[in-house]
Amino acid sequence: MTFDVEIVRWHAVASWTWNAGDDVCGICRMPFDGCPPDGKYPGDDSPVVWGVCGHAFHLQCIQKWLQSQAQTDQRCPFCRRAWEFKAAAPSS
Amino acid sequence: MIKLFSVKEKQKKDAAAINNPKQSAGELRMQKDMSELNLAKGTTISFPDGKDKLLHFEIFLKPEDGIYKAGTFHFDFQVPTSYPHEPPKIKCKTKVFHPNIDLDGNICLNILREDWKPVLSINSIIYGLQFLFLDPNPEDPLNKEAAEMLANNKAKFESQVQAAIQRGAYIGSNHFPPCR
Repeated sequence: MTFDVEIVRWHAVASWTWNAGDDVCGICRMPFDGCPPDGKYPGDDSPVVWGVCGHAFHLQCIQKWLQSQAQTDQRCPFCRRAWEFKAAAPSS
Repeated sequence: MIKLFSVKEKQKKDAAAINNPKQSAGELRMQKDMSELNLAKGTTISFPDGKDKLLHFEIFLKPEDGIYKAGTFHFDFQVPTSYPHEPPKIKCKTKVFHPNIDLDGNICLNILREDWKPVLSINSIIYGLQFLFLDPNPEDPLNKEAAEMLANNKAKFESQVQAAIQRGAYIGSNHFPPCR
């Protein structure tokens, strides 16, 4: 016995999340999947970035912090190691 | 009729609360800090301007051990709207004979100045203050007289501090009221 099914309409749903381990940004304490205080929309508008030390923050948050520090003394707010943006997010 | 007016007034107020200008980043972060606040036994917090004015509060700290045991020390916190990118401004409102607190209430604590970083929180600052009372640091002092006495004669320092806390006392030419 077989069914002859005709698909009239379909509705795709996807979900996304930043691959950032810890679930909140250490600076604003907002979820990585949400927005920092200055951000309007989550996602591409409120990206998450990593330092070479492995700590992650909202891009807006870490930029604001680095701008307030001397150019020659840019450090990770967690571990105080020299801050350098990591090229890409680590893949799991 | 009177009742009708009061209802209208209330509606206006409610509308004002909803249209409240957007909270500053500092306030948003302070809400998080307050929900995670973990005060040691004997330490209390109060909001002199009301609980919706999170950027100004007071901490009453009571060391459970050490030289300053049994004293109650009052700190005033002013949190900038740029918090946590800048640290809160803190004054000690209790006159205390301490190497790292001067008689105007200025406090020498690294994380309040050069070592501040935005991953720290109100909890971390209160730990820092507790540590300052458990382990006053005579190097790099704000109150030189206190630092010298602590370095040269710890027993004398301790008895003078305790006398001031319990009954109030003159230490040198300054009077310290009781603060238990």
